[in-house]
Amino acid sequence: MDMNAYLSMFIDESNDHLQALNDNLMRLESAPEDISIVQDIFRSAHTLKGMSATMGFEDLASLTHEMENVLDLVRNDKLKMDSFIFDTLFKGLDALESMVEDVIQGGTGKADVTHIVKDLSNIVKGDYKNGSADTASAAATTNTASDNDKGGLLDQYQSSVLKQSIESGLQVFYIKVTLTESCVLKAARSYMVFDVLESTGEVIKSEPAVEDLEQEKFDRSFTVFTISSVSPEELTTKISSISEIETVEVLPLDEESLASLSSASTQVAVAVEAPTPSAKTNEKAEDKSVGEQKKAPAKNGAPVANRTIRVDIDRLDALMNLFSEMLIDRVRLEQLSSEIKRQDLIDTVEHMARVSSDLQNIVLKLRMVPVDTVFNRFPRMVRDLAKSLDKKIELIVTGAETELDRTVIDEIGDPLVHLLRNSVDHGIETISERIAAGKSETGTVNLRAFHSGNHVFIEVEEDGKGINSKKVLEKAISKGVVKPEDADKLSIDEINNLIFSAGFSTADVISDISGRGVGLDVVRTKITSLGGNVTVTSVEGKGTKFSVQLPLTLSIISAMLIKLGDEKYAIPLSSIVETAIIQRSSILAVHGNPMIKFRNAVIPLISLSKLFDSPSYNEEHEEEHEIIVIHKGDKWAAIVIDEFIGQSEIVLKTLGKYLTNISGISGATILGDGQVALIVDPNALIK
Amino acid sequence: MSEELKVIVFGIANEEYGIEVDKVRTIERMMPITRVPKTPSFIKGVINLRGVVVPVLNLSGRFSLAETEVTEHTRIIVVAVNEMEVGFIVDSANDVIDIDRDIIDTPPEIVGGIQAKYLDGIAKIGDDRLLIMLNLSEVLNKSEIVQLEQLEV
Repeated sequence: MDMNAYLSMFIDESNDHLQALNDNLMRLESAPEDISIVQDIFRSAHTLKGMSATMGFEDLASLTHEMENVLDLVRNDKLKMDSFIFDTLFKGLDALESMVEDVIQGGTGKADVTHIVKDLSNIVKGDYKNGSADTASAAATTNTASDNDKGGLLDQYQSSVLKQSIESGLQVFYIKVTLTESCVLKAARSYMVFDVLESTGEVIKSEPAVEDLEQEKFDRSFTVFTISSVSPEELTTKISSISEIETVEVLPLDEESLASLSSASTQVAVAVEAPTPSAKTNEKAEDKSVGEQKKAPAKNGAPVANRTIRVDIDRLDALMNLFSEMLIDRVRLEQLSSEIKRQDLIDTVEHMARVSSDLQNIVLKLRMVPVDTVFNRFPRMVRDLAKSLDKKIELIVTGAETELDRTVIDEIGDPLVHLLRNSVDHGIETISERIAAGKSETGTVNLRAFHSGNHVFIEVEEDGKGINSKKVLEKAISKGVVKPEDADKLSIDEINNLIFSAGFSTADVISDISGRGVGLDVVRTKITSLGGNVTVTSVEGKGTKFSVQLPLTLSIISAMLIKLGDEKYAIPLSSIVETAIIQRSSILAVHGNPMIKFRNAVIPLISLSKLFDSPSYNEEHEEEHEIIVIHKGDKWAAIVIDEFIGQSEIVLKTLGKYLTNISGISGATILGDGQVALIVDPNALIK
Repeated sequence: MSEELKVIVFGIANEEYGIEVDKVRTIERMMPITRVPKTPSFIKGVINLRGVVVPVLNLSGRFSLAETEVTEHTRIIVVAVNEMEVGFIVDSANDVIDIDRDIIDTPPEIVGGIQAKYLDGIAKIGDDRLLIMLNLSEVLNKSEIVQLEQLEV
């Protein structure tokens, strides 16, 4: 079997499971009594173990196995969760994550995890805290837990089926069949036994699993749990009548023996007074059967079954390209049908137009991903940070379902991590400081995402000490970011936003977490490169809010289409403040530069036709000018154009690798008539 | 055994040029070109090639030859070199021929005004046909565009 074919699937799925583990552990930490969460965690861990073992990542499998042991105890009420166990489990999780990361990088997923494994097995043994009341019971199950890849002989699902059968008055048997030594057709014989059992009832579980029996992967004996309508004696006779059967033991089970069966395998021997199946030979088969059978209920148990498939992003891009091709043909068809004027043709084309606009919506939505895919790692991160800083912090996430384009999602993670770290480290005070300031012990960090117009906003707001703007200003002056003489002119918000300048950190002590002074300017650079913007508002003593504005998508934007003579250009709507018509006589000249008055300010007037050497348009012969007022941050400028065409959603295209860094042009788009229109980059127009 | 080479033959002015066939993506008829401002004059602009925006150069302009009129034979040859897709406007493109690598000679220093570095060599076909083989990566050399831009400014 070629493992590489499965590797990407393994990576995807293990990341999902790791994330689920992380989320559920966090949930469990806030509700330690909720055993159903432990069940979820156990399932994820178990599936992960099975997958890693199949793929041959032994270290991954063994670490998961140890974690599973601990969880198994918790799930069976033999161990109470406490902060040490949580920390160890989280540590284990981190190790797992780095192993999977290693696998992704093409490594073997090996890592030294002996330390964590030791901690985990100490927990299982119960001697991580001396004199614990749990010690006895935990230790009693140690052997079971640590040598049991078998887990319980019956998993939860099977035992509950059996239990229900007993409760409803059916008979449940444990049957052990041993074939004669000379038996040649072992598989056939076992099949006949199953045939008998199934004619009288139902087989719940067999050991080894049926697949192994069919392939003769067993020694001489196998055991079966079955529900049957006939008496034990009759069953014995029926099975014994099959040839080459040496012995048949049929043991009726009641609820009590069942309960002990499902909890631990060593107790099986006692409970049913039957010899444990010859362990050596069966062990391997058993591993497998238990693994498989546990997987099945795990899937049933996950209510949000997979309704999604994974698709390569390149294919989506290809789909998008093909779709825009089709749009162009649609426009042509519409033109043709209006020329030909045949009613049925017009109807068909209209229908196609409706269908294709629906299709457009779907194609665009395909690329959208909820921000949750980035947010989901933050609760854990904040928890760890708070712990290491000895602070109490509650992270409240809202709007995780807000959707953003995949390309934006991929890039936004790091800047957000930075902002959050910043809030936790510098924003929220220590417990004693908070109490002294008359605040509650627990600091709150709000992480919000929401739509607004064509943008998505992500806000990180905390109720910490706020920004000391005096200190910021002093620092800005000492670093030469601001000239001392300009200092008085700045508003508080302007001062606070200086923290995004390069080489700026107000932290007095450089900590491990943040404060190396390379932080916020990198955040700003990254977000601007995504076509977004980041600002900060802060009230000293009350808290700070970082607000990140992002474009909904990088591949489709709203734009104003304009004409310069016979050339068409698109201007991103996000940069447009207003459109207007002005009289030529109202243009002022300042130092020879044309300016206009706009909303009580004087702003520069830029001639697009001159800038782009337009061959077919020159506004100088006109008495009235159409202008578009654009902004870059809080700087404004007006550009003179020939004619407005209108607002439109456009698909962004690059100009290709041959044409790069053309000043004033950020890309291109294809218009409905199939022609290329260039997209003006307003940021390059405002100096 | 010498190597056979499949070559697309196209004409600019009265000369015949060749590009290896595996570097050619497609050959298109003339289509509307969107001018890109602030670029050297030989860059005619960009076209929509089935949903992909592709820059188009006028090869004669690139070699500082006089640009010829667009006729019904004018074609855009789209080539893919070094992960770049670029279209060339040529006066005609109508032939694919096999040539022997052995018959390609190193070019003389100056050929019809084109610097030798743009050429891979010259193939002599029959008695009176000369085929100029282009060195595409040199033709599409970007650092040279930057120099040209600086000259124009």
